[in-house]
Amino acid sequence: MLTYDVLIVGSGGAGLYAALKSRMEEDLRVAVLTKVYPTRSHTSAAQGGVNAALANKDPTDTWEQHWFDTVKGSDYLADQDAAELLCREAPEVIREMEHWGCPFDRTTEGKIAQRPFGGASKPRACHAADKIGHVMLHTLYEQGLRHGVDYFNEWLTISLLHDGKRCQGVNALDTRTGKLHTIQAKAVILATGGYGRIYWNRTSNAYGNTGDGLAIAYRAGLPLKDMEFVQFHPTGLRRTGILMSEGARGEGGFLLNGLGERFMTRYAPEKMELGPRDLVSRAIETEVRQGRGGPEGEVFLDLTHLGKEKIAERLPQIRQLCIDFEGVDPIEEPIPIKPTAHYSMGGIHTDINGLTSIEGVYAAGESGCVSVHGANRLGGNSLLDILVFGRRAGNHALEYARSVELPSMPKDILASAETRIKSLMEGESEEKLADIRRDMANIMANKAGIYRNAADLTEAVEDLVELKARYKRLKVKDKCKVFNTELVAALELENMLDLAEVVAKGALERTESRGAHSREDFPERDDKSWLVHTVATRGSDERPVLHFDPVTITRFQPEARTY
Amino acid sequence: MTEKITPVREKILSNIRIQRFTPGKDRSPYFDNFKMEVETGMTILEVLRHIKNTQDSSLTFRAFCRSSICGSCALRVNNKTVLACSTQLMPILKDFGKATVTITPMANLPIIRDLVVDIDPVIEKLAKMHPYLVENKDRVPETLEKESLMSQEELEAFGLMTDCILCGSCYSACSAVKADSNYAGPLTIAKAYRFSVDPRDDFRGMRFQAAMDQGLWSCVQCRKCIKVCPKDTRPADSIRDMRRISIDAGIHDSPGSRRAKAYTDDVERIGQVNKPMLPVIVHGTKGWAAIEAAEAGLKKHGMEPTRQVCSLPGQSGAAKIYAKVREIEGKKKGGKTNG
Ligand SMILES: Cc1cc2nc3c(=O)[nH]c(=O)nc-3n(C[C@H](O)[C@H](O)[C@H](O)COP(=O)(O)OP(=O)(O)OC[C@H]3O[C@@H](n4cnc5c(N)ncnc54)[C@H](O)[C@@H]3O)c2cc1C
Ligand code: SF4
Ligand code: SF4
Ligand code: FES
Repeated sequence: MLTYDVLIVGSGGAGLYAALKSRMEEDLRVAVLTKVYPTRSHTSAAQGGVNAALANKDPTDTWEQHWFDTVKGSDYLADQDAAELLCREAPEVIREMEHWGCPFDRTTEGKIAQRPFGGASKPRACHAADKIGHVMLHTLYEQGLRHGVDYFNEWLTISLLHDGKRCQGVNALDTRTGKLHTIQAKAVILATGGYGRIYWNRTSNAYGNTGDGLAIAYRAGLPLKDMEFVQFHPTGLRRTGILMSEGARGEGGFLLNGLGERFMTRYAPEKMELGPRDLVSRAIETEVRQGRGGPEGEVFLDLTHLGKEKIAERLPQIRQLCIDFEGVDPIEEPIPIKPTAHYSMGGIHTDINGLTSIEGVYAAGESGCVSVHGANRLGGNSLLDILVFGRRAGNHALEYARSVELPSMPKDILASAETRIKSLMEGESEEKLADIRRDMANIMANKAGIYRNAADLTEAVEDLVELKARYKRLKVKDKCKVFNTELVAALELENMLDLAEVVAKGALERTESRGAHSREDFPERDDKSWLVHTVATRGSDERPVLHFDPVTITRFQPEARTY
Repeated sequence: MTEKITPVREKILSNIRIQRFTPGKDRSPYFDNFKMEVETGMTILEVLRHIKNTQDSSLTFRAFCRSSICGSCALRVNNKTVLACSTQLMPILKDFGKATVTITPMANLPIIRDLVVDIDPVIEKLAKMHPYLVENKDRVPETLEKESLMSQEELEAFGLMTDCILCGSCYSACSAVKADSNYAGPLTIAKAYRFSVDPRDDFRGMRFQAAMDQGLWSCVQCRKCIKVCPKDTRPADSIRDMRRISIDAGIHDSPGSRRAKAYTDDVERIGQVNKPMLPVIVHGTKGWAAIEAAEAGLKKHGMEPTRQVCSLPGQSGAAKIYAKVREIEGKKKGGKTNG
């Protein structure tokens, strides 16, 4: 059996930072287990920036202002002690990244450059051209190589092992050989990223952002928190959901419905296309629902009036993106777009050290929920979250692993994983994987997406139960053990179905509108009843059971969120 | 005045020819043909996913971000290495004027299954290059109170190589890897160069050695890596520059660097390369055998070989250029120590 002191599941920014922290003094055995090669993790897709009140651009910026912006942005659902840590430790983690070689852009004095970002009162997003996530991820990977972190690449974690009190390790599938393994570990840090893929093609997220870590934790009896909060971005490309940044609208792009009308006049007559993300997303959704979308339920981002020169000069990357991914040249025709699920605020319930209710089991990054983002994440705060809480989890796990002996392991610990794989691999399928996945996405987008109401959500919950029954009849057709991507997709789908149900259930129960959660039947925020976290555990009937925990308020009393 | 928007979408019934191979099951790679309707806007990756979802779920390929940033999906389309996720199929069908397209895995790497290759050899070679920053104490502060100071110009000297997504395309296309599988490959040397010119780094000496050990001078500068790189990082240029800075650092002791040095020294001295003597300069005493063989060959064809190469008339001009270059470089270096 493979044995480690600290085992990290996931090699995004959160996982790699945690790994580096626990391996830094080189006395413990630390491994990262990841379903893709480390640098392929979704963190690489982040373009814009990472927040820290370095005050390089505006000397009056302070971490307290960052703290306030974060709490306000969260629609007051963030725990203020956690948000405080996030903003207080931000300058340190950014500088640590810089010392490790991260190529941030520079000011004229040679310091880290910063730009303004939505929802931030000061320019504090540190950037590296339009590839901040990519350079951060590579820097962390490189330093991991330097310090001797072990990597298990293309291994899929299937289950978390614990004895009810203490962590024991994980079961995982080596996809290259198709063999199952148990990895014994004193501490496990789950850093498996978000669950945006429950909306399948309507997300800006990578194919693998299927929320595996959350589903694994949920099945192992750990609670999930605030799962109904999923942030949508208004402008994703129609075919793929790939993000078109605000830049195109900033340069004067128009949003047109299928009839060619500039529909934002109806929703934000002053700000028009430059209204806040959630408002624009809802406006698009309304147009489409009322039958004014394009032939495939899209609307259009029209740049043609800007002219060839301006587009080629000011928006070359956006133009290339449209040509490469959508086959559309924005000089010649409007770009078809749809709102796209972008960020998962919910996650595995943890304390400020990333610790869960099981000793030695941690969660960090988008898969965790400390909670610093509450009902709505600010741009540039999630890359910060993965650094700060990846680091905290790494440090805490290091101390913990030094203080305990290896856990004892029952003999048949692999048996349940073997049974699960076997039941998927043997027999003829009565269902098609792609069909179930598409149906899930449609349920989620239409009934638990940008707009929500009691009737739709009740249906969604029922539909998902039915879909889970259909999943039970699904078999993997490809019977080969080597690199079986169909098997991986089937296991991921099972995870997504569990999470989709928790999202829909939470959204149904929460009879208010707050941040990214928007109820047509309850359009107001309701601090009297709903200034609470939704906590979901898996009941004995495999259905989610909810309870509600108070929000930690230390400094800022809730106010209306206006910008 | 508004007008209804009706996007134009062409459709072509196409034949997608894909190389298949499952080690242990198949003796050797073979091709499968899939018929499908390709429409405007479809990427190669969408085509592969469509086939997997509707025709053959065992078709195996890698993809993750589907937005050309993770580097998972490199493969060959009509023999050219590309990222499947950012390559539109319709223009290719039109360019080639036929409705068939052939998809094969990357070259120079062992196949795991179908379009999936084993990328570990590249990662192992990369790991040997010390591909990480080792803090230069003069530039990187001891505490986390401050960041290191670095100008945007200093950053831009290596910024391009930080765009590399480790997709392996350049490795797949590389002539030198094809000739010698021990060669480190474009991206790994380029990465070593990236850190070696980062002013915050203090480890370049070790990297020169690592690059020399892994064939720094094996690259034939065919520039195929530049052509295929989806991120335009220009690895061949970094390799050229790595050679230059390693020679500047006094590392002359390899056949490649000796050749480069002989070229430059000869041109300054006599205005042309002393070709007849090159083998000895590059390969030491072993070079004599090559010279003698060449001389025998010439004699056989009735020619009289010579080991003397005369100075060309333009030599003085060449020498002036050298002097000028030295002057400029001297100034640059001076500038650095003073500034
Ligand atoms: C297009 C886009 C742009 C963004 N831009 C910004 C921005 O400008 N600023 C900002 O702050 N945030 C941004 N974000 C959000 C931010 O990028 C993410 O929230 C963050 O990178 C998540 O990091 P992570 O480490 O938690 O997870 P990820 O980077 O998603 O990594 C998850 C890891 O878990 C592994 N994994 C998952 N399941 C398993 C399993 N079963 N077994 C083994 N391994 C597994 C994966 O292989 C992967 O390595 C953006 C997001 C998107 C989609
Ligand atoms: S230029 Fe050199 S590294 Fe690049 S492909 Fe040619 S031989 Fe390989
Ligand atoms: S240098 Fe370019 S082609 Fe080579 S691995 Fe990096 S991104 Fe890919
Ligand atoms: S899927 Fe990530 S680069 Fe193509």
